[in-house]
Amino acid sequence: MSQKETDILSVLQAKFKDTSVQVQPQQLGKVAVIADATTYRDVLKALLEADEKTAVIAITGIDLGATLGVFYHIRTSTAGIITIKVEVPQEEPRLKTISDLMPGAAFDEMEVTDLVGVVFEGHPSPGRLVLPDNWPDGVFPLRKDAKLDNLQFKPTPPSEPASPGNEDIVKIIIGPQHPALLEPEKFALKVEGEIVKDVQPRIGYVHRGIEKAAESRTYLQDVYLVERICGICNACHATCFVEAVEKILETEVPPRAKYIRTILLELNRLHSHLLTLGHAGLEIGFETLFQYFWRDREPIMDITEIISGNRVISSGMTVGGVRRDINEADIPKIKGMLTSLRKRLPFYKKVYEDEPSIKMRMKNVGTLKREDALKLCIVGPTARGSAVDIDVRKDEPYEAYGEIPFKLITYNEGDTWARMNVRMDEVEESINIIEYALDNLPTGPFRVRVPRVVPAGETVNRVEAPRGELFYYLKSNGTAYPERVKVRTPTFANIPAFLATAIGSNIADVPPNFVSLDPCFSCTDR
Amino acid sequence: MLFDLYFVFRVLVFPGFTFLFFFTMFCDWVERKIEARMQNRMGPTFTGPGGILQPFADVVKLLTKEDIVPGGAKKTIFRIAPIISFSIIVFAISFLPIDGAAIIPNSSFAGDLIFIMALITIANFFLFLSGWASANPYSDIGASRLLTQFLGYDIPLVILALAPAFLAGSLTIASIAASQYLPFIILAPWAFVLFIVTLQAELEKDPFDIPHAESEVVGGLETEFCGGKLAFLRLTRDMQIVFGAALVVELFLGGPYGPVFFGFPAFWYFLWFVLKLLAVVVVTEYLTCLFARLRIDQVLTANWKVLLPLSVLSLTLTVAVATWVYPLVM
Repeated sequence: MSQKETDILSVLQAKFKDTSVQVQPQQLGKVAVIADATTYRDVLKALLEADEKTAVIAITGIDLGATLGVFYHIRTSTAGIITIKVEVPQEEPRLKTISDLMPGAAFDEMEVTDLVGVVFEGHPSPGRLVLPDNWPDGVFPLRKDAKLDNLQFKPTPPSEPASPGNEDIVKIIIGPQHPALLEPEKFALKVEGEIVKDVQPRIGYVHRGIEKAAESRTYLQDVYLVERICGICNACHATCFVEAVEKILETEVPPRAKYIRTILLELNRLHSHLLTLGHAGLEIGFETLFQYFWRDREPIMDITEIISGNRVISSGMTVGGVRRDINEADIPKIKGMLTSLRKRLPFYKKVYEDEPSIKMRMKNVGTLKREDALKLCIVGPTARGSAVDIDVRKDEPYEAYGEIPFKLITYNEGDTWARMNVRMDEVEESINIIEYALDNLPTGPFRVRVPRVVPAGETVNRVEAPRGELFYYLKSNGTAYPERVKVRTPTFANIPAFLATAIGSNIADVPPNFVSLDPCFSCTDR
Repeated sequence: MLFDLYFVFRVLVFPGFTFLFFFTMFCDWVERKIEARMQNRMGPTFTGPGGILQPFADVVKLLTKEDIVPGGAKKTIFRIAPIISFSIIVFAISFLPIDGAAIIPNSSFAGDLIFIMALITIANFFLFLSGWASANPYSDIGASRLLTQFLGYDIPLVILALAPAFLAGSLTIASIAASQYLPFIILAPWAFVLFIVTLQAELEKDPFDIPHAESEVVGGLETEFCGGKLAFLRLTRDMQIVFGAALVVELFLGGPYGPVFFGFPAFWYFLWFVLKLLAVVVVTEYLTCLFARLRIDQVLTANWKVLLPLSVLSLTLTVAVATWVYPLVM
């Protein structure tokens, strides 16, 4: 445990000495704080005062048998993840909201209400988030006793008019089917002329219940299940899950496997960033840029195929290492492809920095100030575009990131232009990381054998996915099946940034602003 | 009787409707190929040699599709507006000399430049009506964007079209084209550049394709259209591109006139006209590939604060040139 971690712990221990709050340094592999319904807000306030970068990563709702657990996973810049555990009775699951302290937690609370049935009093916009509108009341899918056969669906409520009595306000629906969205989500914009007055989000159109499905599969099967949460950042999901399992198993992964994982993770990032940089061109009507970027994305998929045998979903990770070793004969070929991509980058960088029509469409569009980004718990390139220097690869190095030198990219502008340029610079950093990892690939085995049955325990884990911090909470119960898998994807954390910046903007600014978050809804819905 | 047959042949077959229809298809194919090659793609390859029949196949496909009129639409306007705007554009083209004479022989009259500019305005207004009548929020926004944008560029376009008229000393297109022993692109290049930029907006191409920005308003005013009506809207758009390019050829590139080597002059005039027109299409398509789409407020600002003063300035410059420099050159 580091000095800073001890500092924040002693602050907490001193502050809550005489209360029922217990501070446990080594539960979950991280710090956990056991609080109750009267004290958890005080603990959160204390953490907020201690550090400006404190943010709510996720709220896990869990069925503990007699009670329902609500775990607030808090990110601090000094002490990593601190989890505040609160338990509420099954019969009367009520808690006060924390969205007044931390506006970014509002979405997480809605999800817990939907899936576990804990009601948050004082929530600003209570309502369905991931479950459909006609889902029956009182059925909460993630409770262990939930009966999901023969559901009696309610009639679908009629859609409400845009603004009764005001004819000037028109409701423009973006989604669930819309050319600007590649995945089905709905954003109802209320517009007056060309100006957006209000945005109502509705997600959950592709909610597949992966968290629930993971409970009925073995750990090994779950690796391939969580990979399919997102096509593009599949290696990130798999790594985050297998790392969590390895933490509970206390398995040390061989160094060669760590480097191969790092390479696959960075290939994910390259793939995702090139895709978004091109897609942004499409959203602002710059088709040439789109076609150029997507063409240069092809070699990245070829490299993924050389390493793992698959072009998109690499299925390279397994508990205890990776499934395939890198063939030494392929390394020069991979490096050659990366070099030719690197040669294209100065051109693209010039386009994104200086091309006049891109600047006209992206500069000062969707500006998110640093303090808003912190308050809304924004992650990833979106936060780094607003000068928030968070990156899990630096803050809490995993795999080989601690040994590989790379730069943390931040921009101060906070607008769409800055967010896209963060990605543009990260592409170059990713190529550097992969080349360094290929040059310094350790020898030795690429996997270790692990038992199929995982001892009882729980842990939290996070990795830096291309879109931002990806978080997993894993609880095992001593069998071959996990007890609870909680996934918080970066897009879920970043949607509040879009809602905050879209209001008051021009309709034409909505697509570039939105795509600059690199939204992934199949991640968000799970 | 003989004259009547000749007239019918000119209007309906060559260089009239049939020729225009297939030539429009061909220009569409050229555009798609150029755009594709600029974007590292293949473009149409499947239908016919090099995919040359693809635009034609698209129209045939649309004509065979079911034709739906939405319940809330203003049915009459919704049905007839695409056809009317298409017809108006074809009518406007028939005043342009293509093989040395206009499609309708002896139709040229003093001031027909102003007349066809007015026709284009009316055609655009019908396009606006077709979106407005479809009772769909996306169409509404697309149609109001079309009208807003159109109000901005229409005035500069007319002012810029007057520059060649001043140089030629005539408002008749045929005499403007015929008087260009030295094409006006050399005499007044500033007017030509501004005219091409304004034309880009008139044709709703990037960076001015705001009325049908698919990432914001889906299909814009086309959203509710399908089947034959959509085919007519598409044809209107393609025909507009041919018309715009033809106007540039007549006003700045010396019209159909060029060297005649042997045989019929009409053949050579026609060849020069087509080649010049394709050159203009290539230039506009090149511009389309180079820019991102602007926002409606940015376009309006550019139209009223930049393009309008510049076009007035260009006219002033042209008048000065026409008065003092042109007589020296000739």
